[in-house]
Parts: sequence; C-alpha cells; structure tokens
Amino acid sequence: MKIKLSKFTVQKIFYLKIFLCTFLLHFTIVTPNYSQNSQAVTGKVMDINNEPLIGVTIQEVGTSNGTVTDIDGNYSIRIRSGASDLKFSYIGYEEQQINVGNKSIINIVLTEETSILDEVVVVGFGTQRKVDLTGSIATVQLDEKIASRAVTNLSTALSGQLPGLAISQNTGMAGRDDVSMLIRGMGTVNNANPLIVVDGMPDVDMNRLNVNDVESVTILKDASSAAIYGSRAANGVILITTKSGSNQDKARFEFSSNLTLSTPTDMYAFLPDYPRSLTLHQVTQSTGILRENLNYKDGTIDQWMALGMIDPIRFPNTDWWDIIVRNGVMQNYNLSASGSNDKSNFFVSIGVMDEQGLQINNDYRRYNARFNYDYSVRDNLKIGTRFGGNWSEWDYAGSEGFTQGSYVGTDLRAAIAGITPYDPVTGYYGGEMAYNENTLVYNPLQTYTNVQNSQNRQEVNPSLYIEWLPIKDLRARVDYTINYYNQFRWSANIPVQAYNFQTASLTDRWFIPSTAPIQNYTNTGYKTQLNGLLNYDKRINENHQINATVVFSQEYWHNRSQTASRNDRLHPSLHEIDAALVSVQSTGGNSNEEAMRSFVGRLNYNAYDKYLLGFTARYDGSSRFIGDYQYGFFPSGSLAWRFSEEDFIRGFTENFLDNAKFRITYGGLGNNSGVGRYEQKETLTTMNYIIDDQIVKGFVNQKMINRNLSWESTYVTNIGLDLVFLNNRLSAEIDYYDRLTKGMNRPSEMSIHLTGAYTAPRTNIGNLRNRGVEGNFRWQDKISDFSYNLHLNVAHNRNRLESWNEYLGRGSTFINMPYGFLYSYEDKGIAQTWDDIYTSTPQGALPGDLLRLDLNGDGRIDGNDRKAYPNIDKNRPRTNFGFTANMSWRGIDFSTLFTGAAGRKDYWLVRYNTVNPPTTSFAFSQWHIDNPWSHENKDGIWPRLGGGGNNTAETTFWLDNMSYIRLKNIQIGYTLRNNSILSTLGLSDIRFFLSGENLLTLTNHRGLDPEIQGKDINDAYPLVKSYSMGLQIGI
Amino acid sequence: MIILLCFSCNDDFLNRQPTTELGAEAFWQTTDDATTALMGAYADVRSLFEWDLWWDGQGEYQKVLNTTAVARSPGMTDGSFNPSGYGGSFNSLYRYLYGGVHRTNYVIENVEKMLPNHTSPEIIHELETVIGEARLLRGMVYFRLISLWGDVPYIGKIIYDNSEVEHITRMPITQIKDSIYADFTYAYEKLPNKIPALGRAAKPAALAFRGKLQLYWASWNNFGWPELDGFTPNQEEAKNAYIGAADDFKKVIEDFGLTLFRNGEPGEIDELGKAEILPNYFDLFIPPANGNPEVIMCFTHGGQGSGQGESLMRALGGRQLMNGQLQVFPRFEIADRYQSIITGDFMDPLIPMHPTHPEARTAENSALNPQSYADRDYRMKSSILWDYEMIMGIVNFQYDGWTPFIYNTWTAPVTIDGVDYITYTGHGTARSGYVYRKFLRNYPGADRASGDYAWPVMRLADVYLMYAEATNEVYGPQQDAVELVNRVRHRGNLPPLKPEKYATKEGFFDAIEQERIVELLGEGQRSFDLRRWRALERVWGEPYSGGVWCIDSHGAQITRYFNNASERAYEQCYIYRIPPAERDRNPNLTQNRPWM
Repeated sequence: MKIKLSKFTVQKIFYLKIFLCTFLLHFTIVTPNYSQNSQAVTGKVMDINNEPLIGVTIQEVGTSNGTVTDIDGNYSIRIRSGASDLKFSYIGYEEQQINVGNKSIINIVLTEETSILDEVVVVGFGTQRKVDLTGSIATVQLDEKIASRAVTNLSTALSGQLPGLAISQNTGMAGRDDVSMLIRGMGTVNNANPLIVVDGMPDVDMNRLNVNDVESVTILKDASSAAIYGSRAANGVILITTKSGSNQDKARFEFSSNLTLSTPTDMYAFLPDYPRSLTLHQVTQSTGILRENLNYKDGTIDQWMALGMIDPIRFPNTDWWDIIVRNGVMQNYNLSASGSNDKSNFFVSIGVMDEQGLQINNDYRRYNARFNYDYSVRDNLKIGTRFGGNWSEWDYAGSEGFTQGSYVGTDLRAAIAGITPYDPVTGYYGGEMAYNENTLVYNPLQTYTNVQNSQNRQEVNPSLYIEWLPIKDLRARVDYTINYYNQFRWSANIPVQAYNFQTASLTDRWFIPSTAPIQNYTNTGYKTQLNGLLNYDKRINENHQINATVVFSQEYWHNRSQTASRNDRLHPSLHEIDAALVSVQSTGGNSNEEAMRSFVGRLNYNAYDKYLLGFTARYDGSSRFIGDYQYGFFPSGSLAWRFSEEDFIRGFTENFLDNAKFRITYGGLGNNSGVGRYEQKETLTTMNYIIDDQIVKGFVNQKMINRNLSWESTYVTNIGLDLVFLNNRLSAEIDYYDRLTKGMNRPSEMSIHLTGAYTAPRTNIGNLRNRGVEGNFRWQDKISDFSYNLHLNVAHNRNRLESWNEYLGRGSTFINMPYGFLYSYEDKGIAQTWDDIYTSTPQGALPGDLLRLDLNGDGRIDGNDRKAYPNIDKNRPRTNFGFTANMSWRGIDFSTLFTGAAGRKDYWLVRYNTVNPPTTSFAFSQWHIDNPWSHENKDGIWPRLGGGGNNTAETTFWLDNMSYIRLKNIQIGYTLRNNSILSTLGLSDIRFFLSGENLLTLTNHRGLDPEIQGKDINDAYPLVKSYSMGLQIGI
Repeated sequence: MIILLCFSCNDDFLNRQPTTELGAEAFWQTTDDATTALMGAYADVRSLFEWDLWWDGQGEYQKVLNTTAVARSPGMTDGSFNPSGYGGSFNSLYRYLYGGVHRTNYVIENVEKMLPNHTSPEIIHELETVIGEARLLRGMVYFRLISLWGDVPYIGKIIYDNSEVEHITRMPITQIKDSIYADFTYAYEKLPNKIPALGRAAKPAALAFRGKLQLYWASWNNFGWPELDGFTPNQEEAKNAYIGAADDFKKVIEDFGLTLFRNGEPGEIDELGKAEILPNYFDLFIPPANGNPEVIMCFTHGGQGSGQGESLMRALGGRQLMNGQLQVFPRFEIADRYQSIITGDFMDPLIPMHPTHPEARTAENSALNPQSYADRDYRMKSSILWDYEMIMGIVNFQYDGWTPFIYNTWTAPVTIDGVDYITYTGHGTARSGYVYRKFLRNYPGADRASGDYAWPVMRLADVYLMYAEATNEVYGPQQDAVELVNRVRHRGNLPPLKPEKYATKEGFFDAIEQERIVELLGEGQRSFDLRRWRALERVWGEPYSGGVWCIDSHGAQITRYFNNASERAYEQCYIYRIPPAERDRNPNLTQNRPWM
C-alpha cells in the first residue's frame, strides 16, 4: 500500500527540507568553484498534476554541488560543462537522473514513488510495514479499474488478483453469489473456506459489500500471519478494509455509474426441431425393441413435420432458449463523499445495483450504504465507527436457476421442442401432445413464470472502537461489532394445469397443483464480537524494536428461523400467509447459538531492520466442544532476514537489488467447522407416535458422545523470498508451503449393531497435507508519460491424504494419494467392426459401443481395471494463475486481466450429452445428430445412441482437460483532470470507461464452462459474458 | 480491560444448550418420562414393521417395482422385494432391526432402574406395563432377525460405547428364541387384557406373538433349516412347539372376547363394474376400521400434516388417487386363487387374451371378460381391480369421479354405458393386468403419503389360520380348526369347506394355505410362510428346472424366475447374508453357509 501523505503533511515536510537543505548547503557544501568550463542550468520541477514541487534537491552527480527548488518549483544551478548528470531527489518521489549535455533548461516531472520502506499492508489488528512482514501475505488495492468492472460481487472481482487464492465463479444466475474460494488448496475435508473478515468482523458476507466501498483486500496465508486474526483461520484469512477519508484534506464527492449488457458465455444447443427429436428417439429405442413397438410412430413424425410448418400452436417446434433467456442488464450507481482534517476523517456512500438475469423472471437488486468515521477526541484518545448496511431483493423460480431447486421438478432435459409454451389467447401452458408422449414433460416457461420465490434480506453491520494511548508506546483499544440480518422469503407458486393443444383439452397433469401453498420463511439473527487489545511498541535504541500485543476476543452467534405454510389460498396472486384458509397449514421454528472466546499474544522483535522475529500464541475456546477439550492451544513463530541490508551482500547487489528478504514461519491454527453447534451435547431426539389418533411425544436417545473431540489443527511451514530489483521496478515474491491438517474430525466408525440407533460421534482422525509454491511477480515502469505495470501471479498446490479412519475401497479417495485424484477406466475407442470386439476383452459390446481396456488382464472388465492418476485432480485445478497488465498514457488507461487454471481433468458426462437418453421426452441437441456412431456415420465421435450404460461409464473417452485461459476483463478508460471546463462545472475529474468480462476463453473442455466447479455438472446456467460502459465523476 | 476480564469470568459463555432438543439430564425424572420413552420406541419399531406390504413381493402374488414410497425406514428402502435373489440385500434392515433393539433396551433398562424407587402398586404396575410393551417390541424385533438370519448377536442392555459390541459373536438361535419367549411371556403377564388406547398393546398381542414364535420354531424343526449351521431339527421339539403355539392361539381366540371385523359377515357387494357398495373385507383395510377388535396388534399412523402417515396410496394407487405412483400391484396369478361363492372351490383358470383378439372381452373364462369374475370370493372385489372395474378418483383432495381400470390403456377416454370416463392411469412397467383396491382410501382428506391407517401386524383371522395349522400338524384336521377356517371363508361369502377338503392332514394344510394367500394378500406373510414351510421349490420349481414365467392378463410373458437356478440360489433365499462389511471389521462374526 502506498502511503498518501496529506498535502498538509507534505507541505510541512517541504518547508522542513528547504530549511535543512539551505542550512546544509550554506554550511557544509564547499562553495562551488565556478571555473571556465561551467554552465548554468535552470528549470522547473513539477509533479504529474503540473503542480510545482518545492524543495526538490538537485545535485550534480559525483560532486557535492547542489541546490533546491524554490516555492514555484524553479531552480538554477551551475555545473561543470560536458558530461555532467543531474540527480533530482525529493522525499516520497522517485529519483531521476538526467544527462545535461549542452541543455540549459531542464524541466522535470517527478512521480510519486512507492517506496518499499513506506509500503504498509493491513494485517491482523493494524497495519505493518511490508518490509517487516515475516509471513505470507498478499494484498490488492481496489482501485477504480477493479471497482468499475461489471462484476456482481467482490469475490468475483478478486479472481486472479492474489497468488494462492483460487476463485471460481460457478453460476451466472442473478442474485446467486456462487463462488468457491480456497486459499492454498483444500485444507480439510470439512469446511475448507477461508475466514472472511470485514473491518475486523469475521463472518461478514463479502458478496453483499459494495465493491466501490472497499479499499483493500489482504489474504493471510500462513499460520503465523493468520494467527493473530482467526480462531478459525486454519484455511487462511481474507481481510477486507473499507475506505476511509484519511489524508484527504479536500473533501471529495464521487459519483459513478455503469450499465452492463450480458449474454451467456456458452449454452447447450437444444434442437428446436421436434420431428427430428422423435426420429432420434426411434433410433435410440431401435437398439432393443421391434419397430412396431417403438414409442413414437412414423405417422406422428410425418404429421408433425408437415403440420409444424403451418400450425405452430398444435405442432410446435419450440426453441426454448429464445423463450426463457433474455439479455442480462445490470445497472450500478454509487455516490460517495470523503474527506479529513487533522482531527477526523469520514467516508459515506450509497450504492444501488440492479441486475436483470439471463433467465426470465430472475432479478436481483441490492442497495448499500456505508458510513465510516474516525475522530481524535484528545491527542491520545481516538474513537471511530464503521457502519455498513445493505438490502437486497431477489426474485427467482428455482434456487439453482434452470435446473433443480424446489418445485422445478424435472429439468431442461425434458424440455422437448414439441410443447407449445404458452398461448396468450387462451392463457394455457402446453403439456404433452405427441402420441405416446410421457406426461412428465417439462415446460420451462411455465416453471419460470409460475414458480415464484422472492427473498429480501437486510443486513446491518455497525461497529465502534475506542483507542487510548495512556502512556508513551502503549496503546489500548476496544472494538465492539454487531452483524445483524433479517431475511424473509415467500414462495407462492401459481397453480397451472397442462393443456393439450391438439385435443384442445386440459390434461390431468397439474404442473403446479391447485393446492400449492403459500410458504413464508423468516430468518433473523445476529453476531456480536468484542475485542480488547493492548499493544506495547518500544524502540529501545536505534536498532532494537519490540512490539508486544495481547488480544482478548469473544464472538457470539444467534440465529432464529420460522416457517409457515398454508394451502387453499384466496387467490393465486396473493402470497402472504393470511391470504389463505387455515384448513391445511404447517409451521416450524427454531433457534441456535454459538460462542467462542480467544486469548492471543503476539511478540515481534526487530533488530537493525534486518532480523525480524515473531511469536504468536492463541488459546481458543468454542462452545462446540465440551469439557477439557473446549480450548485448543495454537502457537506459531516466524523469522525473517533482510539480507539485502547486510553490508557483505549489499556490496555486490546494491546496483540492482533494492530489497531482499528471506522468511520462514511455522505454526498451528484450529478449525471447528466440522462439528455441529450442538453435536457434542447429550440430547434426546424427538420421535413422536400416534395414540388414539393424536400425536404423542416420544423420545429416543440416538447420540453417543466422544468426550475427547477437539479442534482440528493445521500446521503450516512457510518459506518465502521477497526480492525487489531495479529501483523498485521489478518485484518478486516466492513462497513454498507445507500445510498439514491433523486430526480432521470425521464421523467415527461404529459397528452395524449400533448404527441403526446411534449416530457415530465424530473423532479427530484423518490427516491431509497440502504443499505448494506461489509466485507473485510485478514489473512497473514509466517511459515519459506512458506508465505501465505487469503483474503475474501463479500458485500450484498438491495435496495428499495421509491417514483416514474409514475403510477405503477402490475409489478416488485413498491413503497417500491426492484427495479426489482421477481414477478412470481406459478406453480403446469405439468398436467399428465385430473384429474390434472379438479382439477385445468381452464386455457385451456391439459395433458402435465404447470399448474399455482390461488393464489387469483377467479377462473381464470390472472395477479393478481402473487406473489411478496421482498427478491429476478431478475436482479442482492444481495451478491457478492471473495476469494483469495496466497501462496509462495522459489520462487514457487500459487494463486487462487474464485468469487461468490447469491440472484438472473431469468427465464430460451430463444429462444433455448422454448417448442413452430416456425413450420419451428427451431434449436432444444438434450433437445427437452429428456425433453418434452409426452404420451411416462410422466416423461418429460418440458411441451409438441407446447402446447401454457402458458407453456412458467414466472412461478416458469422456475425460476433458479442464485447463483454461480466460480473458476475464478488459477495460479502457479516459480521465479528464484539472481541465478548465471541468473547473467551471465545479468538477475535479471525470472518467469514462468501457469494460468487458469473460470475453474470451481458451479451453479444450466440451461442456458448459471449465471454470465451474464443485457443483452439479448438470446445471445449465451459464456464466455471463458482459459489456459495460460507465462514468465516474469526482467533485 | 477490566470490563473484559469480568466478561471472561463468566464461565457459562461457552456453554450453549440446544433450544429444541431435550437435554438428557432433564429426562428420566417422572413416570411420565417412562411412557414418553416408550412412545419413542413404538415409533422406531413401527418403522420396521409398518411396510410389511412390501414383503409380499418375495412371494408369487405381488409385484414390487420399488420402495420409494417407504418413508421413515431406511431399513426397508434398501431391501430387495423380488421372488428371488434377495437374501443378500438386507444389510440395512439388519442394521435398523438392531436399532429397534437399542430403542427398546433403552426403555426397559431405564424403567427397570426406576422400579425400586417406587412403592405405590399403581405406579409399579404402570411401570411394569411400560416394560412389558417394550419387551414385546424387542421380542418382535429379534423374532424377525432370527427368521431371516438364524443365529444373530444378542444385545440385551444399553450400550454406551462401540467397544462393547465391536467383537460381538452370534448367539445360537435356540437361546435367542428362549429370550424372545421370555420377553413375550413377561409382556403377557404384565399387559392389560384390553388396550388402553389405540396404538398400544395388550395381552392378546403378547400371546399371539408367543404363539407365532412357537409356530415358526415348530416349522423350522419340522421342515428343517439346512442352511443354518448348528441347527438340528428335532421332531419332538417341533411337536411341543406346535402344541405350545396352539395353546397360545386358543387362549387368544377364546379368552378375550375377540371377534372378526363386523363379526366376519361378508357384507354387501355391488354388481360387476360398479363399486358403490363394497364388501366388509374392503372396509377392514381403510382407516375407519382402526381400533376394531379383529386387529390384535397394529402400528398407528397420523394423517395430513402429522408427518407420520402411511404411504399406501402412493405405493398402490394410480395417478387418479392423489397422484399415486403404482409401485406395488398384484400379479396376474392371484386371480385364479379367488374361488367361486357357488361351488366354494376353484374356478376354471382364466385365459389371458390380447385385447386385439375380437373375442377377448366376451370369451368364456377370458381374463379380459368381466363376466369371468362374476360370483367370486368377495375378497376379490375388495382386493383388486380387473378390466372395467371402477374406483373413485381423488385428485387435489377432492372426489374426482369414477375411473375404470382397463389394463394398458392408461388415461384413455372410454365410454361405458353411455358415460364418458378417463381410464385409470398407471404406467408401462405396471404389467400384470391388475391393480390393488385393498388398502386404498375411498375418500379424500389426505395426500398420498398421509394415510392414517393403523397397519396390522397381528390379526385375528391370521391367528385362526395359524391355530388351524398348528393343530393340523400335531393332531391332523380338527373340527374346531375347520370351523375357524370356515369363519375366515365366510368373510368372502364362500360356503364352508367341503369335507373332502379336510379329509387328510395334507388336504387341510392346502386349504389353510389357500386361505392364507387370499386373506392375507399384501400383508407380508407369504414369503415368511414359503420359507418356513420350505416351499420355494414347490412354488418356483426344483433347482435347474425352467422355473416359472409370470405373465399378464394379455398373455405376455413378463418375468421368469428361478430359470435354471442352482441349489445355491434357493439357499440364498432361505437364509440371509450377515452384512459383509461388519464381518470385515469383526472376524468373530460368522457367515451363513450359502453366503460364504
């Protein structure tokens, strides 16, 4: 992070420097010897905003001859003529050296430097100079180039920005922030998600933040860095800091808005040609049945083909995508104000995001407000508050979009083209029509129109702190934070009966039964956190600094839910509970709570700015555990050596190496996520019975408690190297880590003679090791007005399951193998002839079927013939990278972000590409015409249709390399600043930009999207490709 | 900081109690708690017996397509309910039967601990009744375990840790039988004569189960159980057990004033193709019959919204019956079992005919000719639908009008006597020619999974037939036994057995078996009967024979069972497999021989 000194401070320093320099010049510098061969040089030194810089030191290189600029930035100096160089230096700005030659006027623009010494990062409970860091920490500033991207949430915006943070976006559905985030691979089989901390409060939903309010995001990756923050930081911490108005003595208003248009990145190509589909059904069925017994008759097909051209109501050929998909539109408006003086600073903002999803009737709106304020009451007493609030409204049919979710029932696979979606004249939705058609066909228009869910949620996240410095070097601080939420959802599906347009009659199928209930769900809850901190920071003499911190922290959660449902509503358009009769109703309600308490101590010692030592210890207690095992103790230590500061090294490296540091840390952290809130409590379970037609209460005991269950612990060794070269132009950070998660808690194994009555208690068993390397490389430079930077980050992770408590059969979980490695049959291609079959191991194949290899040569194909690939993961990529290039030239800025992943292979076996479709009601796609093998199409790249289960077995045949490179974002903007027209309008600056997301993807994956992971592969909701334009105005 | 330290003094901060679950310390304080715990045990053991319907899929008269309608009972959803190849598919049931053992042990042991604290005779009686009911339930669970697996581990106390059972061994069946006998005897001694409320058990239930236990014990000794290692059949043992069974059954029949439903009268019947009036036998299997004296022991269900319904309508009904899924239906072969009310004997076998045959609907004895079903056992119309029989549709909780069943014309428009109907909606895999009427509610009010029928696990008619069987085995046909069989036959409006039907022990056995088939259709008895009688070979053919083709009313061959099957295939039906995964962990647990 760049420290931006306020103008006020800067000016103070200027005058100080002028004074000092003048003083020094007068008393220490030898009076210049104005010899014959001297020349005069004059000029002006300015900053990039054309403001004069006062007090810039100008020195003739190799001499003690020098001067400083005056109040207008002007200078003049006499130097030896010939090959002299002038060095312009100024605190906080990059030094420049110019060869004078025979020029007599040299005007210089100095740019602010990002001094490696001054760069600080947000770490646990405060900030730290980057050079003093010992652990593995990565940070990103959310500048306007990130904030103006057309992303709907913060986690998507972070994709590809930070080494070691793997992010994949899993759906494009509006309102659904389905993003998976892992720091340094999957650390445990229990919840492996990182801990998210917003302004000091853990567990805030980062996806509900306004991206424009965020100042910076830091990830703490190793145990020693994360130790200070998280009792649950074993899987890393994401620290999010919102903006403040500090160092900004001129208050600033900012307005930004953008408009985004989005389309799918890719979609399944369903065939809007029903006779063709029926023929494909015939082909599929023909493999096992006589022609006269086929479900669909030639007559039906011929009739449909002929009449489909003239009567689209009775013989439709529906292209569902045309009907259920629209262009997504997103609008974003933000207004903020910020400013500071010597006593206080503030930041306020409001924001609106309005998103219209790709799927019809899928909309999301979110409103954000923020108020951050700090005030120095006394010189040694400071108070402040952070307030974040948000409100969202979400309308959707199924919670998963096109597929699944409540009431959506069957899915797009049964959305055949032979359905009339809707007839506005009669108001009917079409059901099955073709002769012998299955009644359970799927009319997605009906579903997405009549299945209605609406959810609104409000969150308020206020916090307050007081900071007191009672004596020199001692700082005490107390923080209190609340995160409150309230969520209400109603679900009220509109009853619909399917209509048969051919017989002009209602069928007896109700898409949504006439008794469809009104359901209301209310969830409220809060979390509170109290932190107390004592910090003692003492510089003993010039070379020794000790920093000791003690933290007490406690967290408390309380959640409550209520549900109610009534059938027989007064009218289908109503959706509140009272709008239905009381004859059939049901209710539910529950609450739960949890508490944690931690004591933390941290000690840092810095000697000679070269040797850095750290030690942290945590003592964490959780209400999820009982007795002596409630608390866990997790120590960690760190060591760093800035070897570039050693004289014996500096001598060699001074010319190119600005800073070099070697870091090593080791430490442990706890995780309690696998355990349920009340899992360790001895409770009885309700199991009611009926006596005399009345429900009577009954209890059974189904818990066995493991009294020794405790925290799962993760031990991380981290070795890192930070290097800064070439005058801060090139920097590299390289880390190696070895993370061992011990005692992962898993349900224990019990005898079958117990498991019918008792749930097995959890036990701490199972070790998982993650090892990996990360690299973060940055190049930044400036060629006159053109400045640019390139940033590449790469992370590679491998894991290995080292012990497991359960019997492991053949499968992709095995000891001393990666967790979720690829375990696959090998294929031999498609059998073209009977000869191919005779020369293969017998496997019941016919020509056109997929042949598998008999790897163990026992003459049959079974589970033993699968091959393990220890170097390929099936569930997530091993390598992730992000590449950013930013350029700016005179107000024009251009940036681009590529992300990518490699090291994952998965089967492409989804419902939509199956070669064994159901014999009725299957939505075929063009693939099914082109690809299947047949006697007419022996080059077909798929096995024959209807050939049997072996053709869709998980063989290498269907294996896709899920590696990809994606142009995640490209953006071009133009900023007008200090312009006279703007000034007359009272504006300080204005920026226009055009931006695109997910515009291009390079991959071999044949399915929907290689980035999507960890969810049902049959989900058809694509990611979005979007184009946006926007405007940012500063006052 | 001081404030903070005060906060941290509060030790309860990390102690959070659940809000909707009862903490174990708060329980076992009052006698009411004993009853509450017993209700939990009833509810759990219910899940092991309430789906007995499915077991008939292992017999020859019912087809089971799947078990998705089975709720609350993971032990049953994993089972295989086909006529062959099922003995290895009941690992889950094994597991959950032991679940029932722990549920009942939990009640028995904790209530026994309460006993010494009380002196009041009323309270002691109340507590002993609770123990008695729990022991009855435990006995039923172990009875099922030994019927299927032979020797099994015996657990008679509360288990607190896995280490207590991880090396457990199987106990010989004789010892377990004695423990079950002791449980039933205790229950018989302590339970009241009459049930205090529907859903609980009384003396007749304990006695009837003790009789049934002895009848099975007698059968194994009489017919042998060669697959069970270590078990030696003993004719003397068999004889004593038959006598013991007969004695217990006789007491059930005579001592408690129990009668058949509506005194065993057949009731009225509607003409062919109409169903306005149905015989009494139909009413016995719908919820209004709950609590009638014929049902000696049942497991109760709750209706709409209780979450405790039976799913009979979902399993047996077609789409017109609250969206039933028709997962279970009678096979074609059951139809010939329904005798003539005129002759009291079997009628000429039905002739399957394809509907495209011009005389399919008119030919004599054609399975598609409604007239072929005239004048049959009233229990036929009460139990099944054949072509052109009507059933009342119930859609969206409302009467939806009559719908005729016409096999393989699912949801077709049809005009009968000038009235337009839509035919019964089944699906392509429901292939036999018949569907159930038995167990299907004929009135609206609950969804397909929320029926509140109290499922019978012991019925007086069954006791009559078991008594007849036990006495017949020891003494040959007895007049009182014949009389009881005739009472069951009267329910179908069949005339009494002709003397030649009970002239010999074998003949009378056949007559009893015939009544068990018809009377107990869909009640989960048939496959247990076939196994204890060692009758699989009789029904499905000897090993390596052609087996049996099951057909439909159109004459299509549907499935062939036991075709060229080895002895092993039969053995693996007679005894089930001890779950192999448990044997991997516990080498002390031996395996039944056919599964080694």
